[in-house]
Amino acid sequence: MCGIAGIMYKNTDQDLRTGQFLIDMLDGCQHRGPDSTGFALYGDAKPGQLRVRFFIGEGDEATAAVQRIQSSLAEQNAEVVEDEVIGNNYRATVNFDGDLRQFSYRMEHVAKVISIGSSLEIVKDIGSAHQVDDRYHVSSFHGTHGIGHVRLATESDVKPEASHPFWATGFADVAIVHNGQITNYWKMRRRLEQRDFEFSTDNDSELVAVYLADKLSQGVSLKEALRSSIDDLDGTFSFLVSTRDEIGYAKDRLAAKPMIMFENDDLISIASEEVSLNRLFPGQALNTKEPPPGTYNTWSRSI
Amino acid sequence: MVTIDLAELSVRDGNELIRKHGAAGEDVEVTNPDARHHIGVGLISPITVKIRGSAGYFCAGLTDQAHFKVDNNVGWGLGDNMYAGSVVVSGNAGAIAGVAIRGAELIVRGNVGSRAGQVMKAGTLCCAGNANFMAGYMMYGGRIIILGDSGERLGEDMTGGEIFVGGSIQDLGADAEVTDIAADEIESVREFLDRYKISFKGSFQKVVNAGKKLRYDTSEQQRRSIPFFSFSGDSSYWNPKIQEDIHIKSHIGRYRIRGYGGARSLPHLADLAFKRDLSGAGHDDDVVSQVEMHTEIGGKNGANPLKLSMPVMIAPMSYGALSRSTKEAIGIASSLSRIAENTGEGGMSDAQRDAADQLIFQCLGGRLGWNIHDMLRADGLEIYISQGAKPGLGGQLMAKKVTPELAAIRGIPAGIDLRSPSRHPDILGADDLVIKIEEFREATGYRLPVSVKLGAGRVRDDIKIAAKDGFDFIELDGMQGSTGAGSAEVIDYVGIPTLAAIIEAEEALAEIGRRQDVEIVLMGGMRDGADAVKGLCLGADAIAFGTSVLIAGGCIACMQCHVGQCVTGIATQDPEHEKRYQASVEAQNIHRFLESVRWQIAAITQGLGYADVRDLSREDLVAVTPEAAAITGLPYAPEYRENRVPQAVKVN
Repeated sequence: MCGIAGIMYKNTDQDLRTGQFLIDMLDGCQHRGPDSTGFALYGDAKPGQLRVRFFIGEGDEATAAVQRIQSSLAEQNAEVVEDEVIGNNYRATVNFDGDLRQFSYRMEHVAKVISIGSSLEIVKDIGSAHQVDDRYHVSSFHGTHGIGHVRLATESDVKPEASHPFWATGFADVAIVHNGQITNYWKMRRRLEQRDFEFSTDNDSELVAVYLADKLSQGVSLKEALRSSIDDLDGTFSFLVSTRDEIGYAKDRLAAKPMIMFENDDLISIASEEVSLNRLFPGQALNTKEPPPGTYNTWSRSI
Repeated sequence: MVTIDLAELSVRDGNELIRKHGAAGEDVEVTNPDARHHIGVGLISPITVKIRGSAGYFCAGLTDQAHFKVDNNVGWGLGDNMYAGSVVVSGNAGAIAGVAIRGAELIVRGNVGSRAGQVMKAGTLCCAGNANFMAGYMMYGGRIIILGDSGERLGEDMTGGEIFVGGSIQDLGADAEVTDIAADEIESVREFLDRYKISFKGSFQKVVNAGKKLRYDTSEQQRRSIPFFSFSGDSSYWNPKIQEDIHIKSHIGRYRIRGYGGARSLPHLADLAFKRDLSGAGHDDDVVSQVEMHTEIGGKNGANPLKLSMPVMIAPMSYGALSRSTKEAIGIASSLSRIAENTGEGGMSDAQRDAADQLIFQCLGGRLGWNIHDMLRADGLEIYISQGAKPGLGGQLMAKKVTPELAAIRGIPAGIDLRSPSRHPDILGADDLVIKIEEFREATGYRLPVSVKLGAGRVRDDIKIAAKDGFDFIELDGMQGSTGAGSAEVIDYVGIPTLAAIIEAEEALAEIGRRQDVEIVLMGGMRDGADAVKGLCLGADAIAFGTSVLIAGGCIACMQCHVGQCVTGIATQDPEHEKRYQASVEAQNIHRFLESVRWQIAAITQGLGYADVRDLSREDLVAVTPEAAAITGLPYAPEYRENRVPQAVKVN
């Protein structure tokens, strides 16, 4: 129930203001989802290091959550390199070389995990793109790619943890944003749960993230995972996925949710509405394209 | 030429200016459109509007006579429901370009997205580039010209009209076929292209409806039906109802279609009783004037509310399912009783508009009879999502009732078994719905309340979405609602009973803390003032009556509404049958029934100790069956079964 946006600069290692670009794109389609806004952003990865983010709430609740998280990180042999409390998030860089999936499930029982990855950081909260930026300094994020989402909360509450992007819990650096509704959610979720996957929300979009991460962990390519998602997921969907090096989309067979893209030699940009793409090229006429129903594609950085 | 800069103005203010200049006959240039939605919506003047950039959803939607030029691209729903006039888009168009157009000429010089021309009725949609999948989906008439290639399922379930393709056709949709082209048709296409200076040298293929799905092979025959009262009996397993169903299916070889309401016994408002014995209520001759019943609906967000003399309105029933005379009689009765009438599907007739002081105009997925002019003369707009008798399904109107006149209003071919689409082309989620509501408000200057009609299905979720999307009120229709034609199993077995629906709706609103600012009109098998009061006690703000109004006007409950030869002249379009219905007489009968409802609401409210219907609450009720207690959470009190409600009717 929402608007989505994604951008990737394909062949540059320049320091690009991806955070600001996504803010602009989401500001353009904020009317599709005024309740909450979120971003999946990618920084440089350092070997053996993870970036972790948690929701910790406010006040005493936050203080207690930080203590729980810090002691639990120590128990998991995750050595904190640096950390900070920002907004209602606890954010840290840790040295960790164990099993990421078990680590994230354990941390999930301690506090609400937003994302864990070697380069991924998800920033999401209630409010508009600019409000979330004010709180979390999204505009200071640089990088080659990222995805974002504005949410209209209909069937569940306006809560930070119900907003997008969703991290594929247990799988580093995989995030999705989704516009639509997965109607075989419970069936697919039970299948994954029988194979010991854990879900941290009842939001159907989280399923998309876990589904893709499961495929990737089996060695399937992102493109192939997107192809099979069109067969396996039922409902209306236009979603974007990002990993450390790739960005991709899939669209249901009935093309029930909007998606429009613009690509040139330098970049690929995808959004729910053209207004978001225009924000990247103010005043220019863009030859945009609507992806056909039942299609998918991926792009990767060439650097 | 006047310039309107959307960098300085909101679309709402911009549209008001466009309409103002339109009325004065001045052309308009719109700068900095920034792909925003609803630009030009509601314009009905023959001016030219130049949009210097890209436009968003519903560009030029709900317009008549105007000519639009767009320099770049447009979003979804280009020219939605446009009557005369034209739009020329220099770039690409998103999905459902030309949705439901009724005569306009739309030219997209680039590509068009999915489902171009969905449910269009007349006019031409021309795409100089390629068309994405399902172009011409469910189109009823008019012409689509695609100079490039067409995607999958071209002409899916088209009923009428023609599609000309200059490039390749990926594949054809259900019930579409390639046919020969006449020389004059090619000439007409060439003339069109020349007029818009589009150069195309290639040849065309023409796609039309193949005619395999327009009519059921066999129709239900009119028969001497068993009366409803034994029809609904559950005396034995192979009862006469089951036998009749089987006889009919053995004749037609498919599911049975019938009219009227469900025959299954379901928990209903009758399973509740008032906590007080009301047999003595209503002795006061003046009870009607002593109880405050005036109700305003739909004004919470600033629109002009419907002003009802009591918390009652007429449920949506179409001219089509019902005869013109019947709609006229109901309209007159609604005016006499100072409540609101509703067009149902299929458009607004002058007779109906003249008869009803307050009239809600209903918009369905097929956009049959939907248009800007009738929107502007309505008192409320209603987006139909589904109905209680057959939630999730579209309407059915059998061929016998699809007369040339009715077909013309709806913009469809005459004489087909009309199966209306069950979905809206442009409402595929709550986010789309927000944009659609905004389009209606833009088109009518934010003057009219915009409501949603929901058949009871996933009530809890649907109500939350409706509240979130900002409708001015919600019409909630339970399973006991009737229909002019529906498949028998669906009528009896699909849906949520009215009693359960209002409970779920109230709980949903409580969960999101919106109970105080969302108004609900409850309907679905409402029979009298006692049902109405119970509905109000459970939280409804008003109650709508449908079937009982038909019965008041002479319906004999034969369940043959679908056949089109209604012996009482109600559910027919045949002038010979309609003759039997005297609108002026039946209007008085319906009015008297409505006044009996008024009296009963007043008498019961007073009997319960209140002077205002807004004081009614669930504390006034008990459940007299275990099922009703389980559904409502009211105390189970079978000892109240004998409690009577006042039945004396006193009408001037």
